[in-house]
Amino acid sequence: MVPRSVCLTLAGWVRPAAAPKGTSPERSLGSSFAELLLLPGPSEAVGADGSPFPRNRLLWRLRESVALGDRFSDIWDTVSLTSRRLILLFYLAFYGFLAALFTFTMWVMLQTLSDETPKYRDQISSPGLTIVPKPPGALEFSLNISKPATYENYIDAIKEFLREYEGKKQEHLLQCRNGTFFEQDNIFPKKTCKFSLETLGPCSGLNDVNFGYPDGNPCIFVKMNRIIGLRPQGEPRIVCAVKEGTEVNLATFPKDGRLDLMYFPYYGKKLHVNYRQPVVALQVQFQSYNQEVSIECKIEGSPNLRNQDERDKFLGRVAFKISLTQ
Amino acid sequence: MRAAEILARDGPNVLSPPKETPEIIKFLKQMIGGFSSLLWAGAVLCFIAYLIEFSKDKSASLDNLYLGGVLIVVVILTGMFAYYQEAKSTNIIASFTKMIPRNALVIRNGEKYEIPAEHLVLGDIVEIKGGDQIPADIRILTSQGCKVDNSSLTGESEPQFRSCEVTHENPLESKNIGFYSTTCLEGTATGMVINTGDRTVIGRIASLASSVGHEKTPIAIEIEHFVHIVAGVAVSIGIVFFIIAICMKYRVLDAVIFLIGIILANVPEGLVAAVTVSLSLTAKRMAKKNCLVKNLEAVETLGSTSIICSDKTGTLTQNRMTVAHLWFDNEIYQADTSENQKDQIFDQSSATWTSLSKIVMLCNRAEFKSGQESVPIMKKIVMGDASEAALLKFSEVVMGDVIERRKKNRKVVEIPFNSVNKFQLSIHETDDPNDKRFLLVMKGAPERILEKCSTIMINGQEQPLDESSVKAFQDAYMELGGLGERVLGFCHLYLPEDEFPDNYSFDVESMNFPTSDLCFVGLISLIDPPRSTVPDAVIKCRSAGIKVIMVTGDHPITAKAIARSVGIISANSETVEDIAKRLKIPVEKVNKREAKAAVVSGMELKEMSPEQLDELLANHTEIVFARTSPQQKLVIVEGCQRQNAIVAVTGDGVNDSPALKKADIGIAMGCAGSDAAKIAADMVLLDDNFSSIVTGIEEGRLIFDNLKKIIAFTLTKNIAELIPFLIFIIAGVPLPIGTIAILFIDLGTDIIPSIALAYEKAESDIMNRKPRHKKKDRLVNHQLALYSYLQIGILQSVGGFFAYFTVYTVQGFKPDLLLYLRPLWENDSLNDLEDSYGQEWTKYQRQYLEWTGYTAYFVAVMVQQIADVIIRKTRINSVFQQGLFRNKYIWVGIASQIIIAVILSSGFGSIPVLNFTTLRIQYWFVAVPYAIVIWLYDEFRKLLVRHYPGSWWDKTMYY
Repeated sequence: MVPRSVCLTLAGWVRPAAAPKGTSPERSLGSSFAELLLLPGPSEAVGADGSPFPRNRLLWRLRESVALGDRFSDIWDTVSLTSRRLILLFYLAFYGFLAALFTFTMWVMLQTLSDETPKYRDQISSPGLTIVPKPPGALEFSLNISKPATYENYIDAIKEFLREYEGKKQEHLLQCRNGTFFEQDNIFPKKTCKFSLETLGPCSGLNDVNFGYPDGNPCIFVKMNRIIGLRPQGEPRIVCAVKEGTEVNLATFPKDGRLDLMYFPYYGKKLHVNYRQPVVALQVQFQSYNQEVSIECKIEGSPNLRNQDERDKFLGRVAFKISLTQ
Repeated sequence: MRAAEILARDGPNVLSPPKETPEIIKFLKQMIGGFSSLLWAGAVLCFIAYLIEFSKDKSASLDNLYLGGVLIVVVILTGMFAYYQEAKSTNIIASFTKMIPRNALVIRNGEKYEIPAEHLVLGDIVEIKGGDQIPADIRILTSQGCKVDNSSLTGESEPQFRSCEVTHENPLESKNIGFYSTTCLEGTATGMVINTGDRTVIGRIASLASSVGHEKTPIAIEIEHFVHIVAGVAVSIGIVFFIIAICMKYRVLDAVIFLIGIILANVPEGLVAAVTVSLSLTAKRMAKKNCLVKNLEAVETLGSTSIICSDKTGTLTQNRMTVAHLWFDNEIYQADTSENQKDQIFDQSSATWTSLSKIVMLCNRAEFKSGQESVPIMKKIVMGDASEAALLKFSEVVMGDVIERRKKNRKVVEIPFNSVNKFQLSIHETDDPNDKRFLLVMKGAPERILEKCSTIMINGQEQPLDESSVKAFQDAYMELGGLGERVLGFCHLYLPEDEFPDNYSFDVESMNFPTSDLCFVGLISLIDPPRSTVPDAVIKCRSAGIKVIMVTGDHPITAKAIARSVGIISANSETVEDIAKRLKIPVEKVNKREAKAAVVSGMELKEMSPEQLDELLANHTEIVFARTSPQQKLVIVEGCQRQNAIVAVTGDGVNDSPALKKADIGIAMGCAGSDAAKIAADMVLLDDNFSSIVTGIEEGRLIFDNLKKIIAFTLTKNIAELIPFLIFIIAGVPLPIGTIAILFIDLGTDIIPSIALAYEKAESDIMNRKPRHKKKDRLVNHQLALYSYLQIGILQSVGGFFAYFTVYTVQGFKPDLLLYLRPLWENDSLNDLEDSYGQEWTKYQRQYLEWTGYTAYFVAVMVQQIADVIIRKTRINSVFQQGLFRNKYIWVGIASQIIIAVILSSGFGSIPVLNFTTLRIQYWFVAVPYAIVIWLYDEFRKLLVRHYPGSWWDKTMYY
């Protein structure tokens, strides 16, 4: 049965709706949705005859009382309550069943999946590029070298980002062979290749803890999105070019912006616990102040990594602006 | 001159057209009625949302703009569809203007002029001749054999004489008035114009007809009721979730977009079109059964009819006089009155019959029109009045080749029937070459014929007319008259050869031949017999709880007789008069409650107060109104409507048009009806046959049931479209289904299956139910709404979500990750969002996955709607009892659902705004288990409803 407290709340809730006793057995449901949720009116309660469900004394009493009319109005309310209780019970059972059905089908569906690799990766066949640090909103850096507040956040973000690559944290990682995939399909647990910060040159943070920001040579890190099982063909490089504005030099680290093949393939969060993503650092060396440049970085040198998609502006490329003032 | 002055004062002699609502207003009304206003609101919100976004960011996505545009297109298209349907129902005044005669011959200043009829003024003297339409209401001054056809006014097409005497104080009944727009059939007359333009009788009827408001049809009320429910639900859920969204710190703009989605999900955009198409399909089906429906909504009105007020002549009867009984040899014989009169079973061996048949054949001026040799006898056109035609056809059927026989019995002389003599006489040579006597034959009013007789023929022998045979004659005459039949007497005399040799010259003027002491042969009674299909139709009406009331201009006795023979007054019920006669007490003393039947004449009706009429209509189940004027029909209709009944009225004359308009459904006669009646009516009976109405009622009831099914089917998926928005707002998951996909369900995949439900056959004998109660048996009751919304709808949503989660999971986003992911998921600048497996997604990659989710959800709803359309085939029977394959259109509908979905998902849907993606084949089947559960669950519901009628389950679950 319905818990007592529920019945009590229900009684309080129902009473006004059941007020016009016997006046109109039909209820139009236009009045309100709340009423609609309240379910059938008093008339529904009368149908005890032949009903398989309510073998209930109240209903038997009702049958005698119907003839006597409204004088037993209290019974009306009680009975409609019983009917409502039935309906509530019904919906509890129905939704319980639905929940069970949903849980069961979800469980079956999840059983067919592996915890390590998603079933399909067709919708991320080619990775996107992102940059660190990331200005809020659109990718537009507005730096003023005389106002540290304009770049302090960026420096913090970079530090946070590079923490994973600190030498201490990579001590137990492998020094892998350059230029070849690190295949370990049958090796458990998966091992991870070291990504040494030294390769990032002036952007490594080892010498310049401010990553060139106060000097007007800000470092920006470009990374490629992780995709399980991705094996870039050829020699993938991140190539950056100035689109607008000329008085800047771009320097990429490691040399030529190379993403070494030893960092591929990726085996997923669960198997490849300590995976270090390869990063390319870009140092934008401003020749003069008070200018704005647009820069676009692309993946090149790898036929299976796309960098030109009309709709996806971040597929294999990333574009951003930097304005530097004094 | 004077005429010009009066013309200036009274205006031209034309009927003024009614004030019309301009077409553009009608069109605009369609654009804002019903759900349209909700959709407009949605479109405006879309544009506002776009403008806000645009003002912040010039490169804002155009999606909202597109959506707004699509919404407006949807509103305009459905509005145009509805307008087109309404425009088809024509304006009542049009037919009146058509009837206006062009020119009139008028005598002014002693000279004849031909002037346009609209220039006629009061006091003009006009001349009319056969073939003219009477140009205004005129009082006849002189008349030479002028006969008019008043059928455009009264529906009675019998020619009426016009002369200059006042024969009745009521101008409508008087013979000296010719009415505007009626036709002069023959003869000539001059008359003075007494009324012009709108003041003419027909002008008054026209203005009355257009001033009688047409009631809203029951189905229009039902649909309005339904729109209110859905709109109420849409707006209240929309506002509640708007507030929730604001409280959850969503941007106002986002909250507005949620609101649009909720409204869109709730409004069944395709329903109005589906309902209209279903109704017009039924209308087509009815047209095949001779019910031509002009106003689509009338299709259903006919189904909810609870009272039919039917004309007698032509509707219940065959509209032709037919020989019903014969009396000779002291015995009454019955003739076959069916449509073909094949089975004449009475005794034809008696010599009396030989004589009688000769009189019937010879004493008759009617002839078949030539050139109809191949036409069946009953269908041949006869020249001559109705009774003579009946006798001619009768003798042609019984004896064959009347014309040839007449030739053999050459007619020597004749006196045609006239109202003074009340008999018709002719003298013939006999076809027996040995018998040189002339045969005098005579027919006429029985009492007049009897007066002229001194003998009577019994079994071929002449016997003196004694008291007992007169008594027998009287009894037979009374009996046949009591059946409401027109009785004719027949007698003959062989003129003695010595007094009338074959060169005798008969003279009609001096009557130099005997017209008394004739030999009485027999009686023949005629009636306009009921159509043979009508009694069954009346029984059907009775079992369907429909009251049939006869309204006729005919004599009460005739009316009652026909009512009895078709079952309008059933065999064992009595009128007050019958009871009085049986108990031999005065009529006043009879307890009126005891009489089931009542025959009320127009005069009595005139005396009644509305309350008395109500009492009459409430207390008697079998009612005949006789001698009523067509105007009284309106009174009767209003009386019936006061009983809360849905009234169908038949009519044919112009002056039936107010009643036809007033009635919930006006039925005009296709053959006998005037144009005005056809235009005022909602429906035209092509064969004038009452039983066609009953087949129409059956169709109407069926479509009501089927509309329920259509609406239940359509409402179900609204929940499946709504829940995604609610979960999206509350649980912050990526949006499961987009607004465009919702429109594709509502206006794409679901349209044909819902129309296909209109072809569903009835589940049980719908003609054994009571007519539906206007207020109690709603189209959309709470059982229907709850079952569709809260049970099947929720089930569908769960199935949809299962498909949605499946697609996300197999691509790497597990359900637990999706919860409250929305801020990150929708963040445009976040292009490395990590999934459950550690992979990173750009915004567009996520967006594409979201569209795949839309497609999966869309396909899941489509698959479950296939189950839904199958379960909606029946409301109580098992689908298997109904026959899974009996309604082939359902399968056409299901095929259309699949094909549309395949097209959308296979590349056509990938154009920018639509955003459908290609789904792996296995994800089309994800929702199949849910579809099966829907089917099984509904079978279970129906099983319990069938097995426990009246139970709690029945009352809660049967819609």
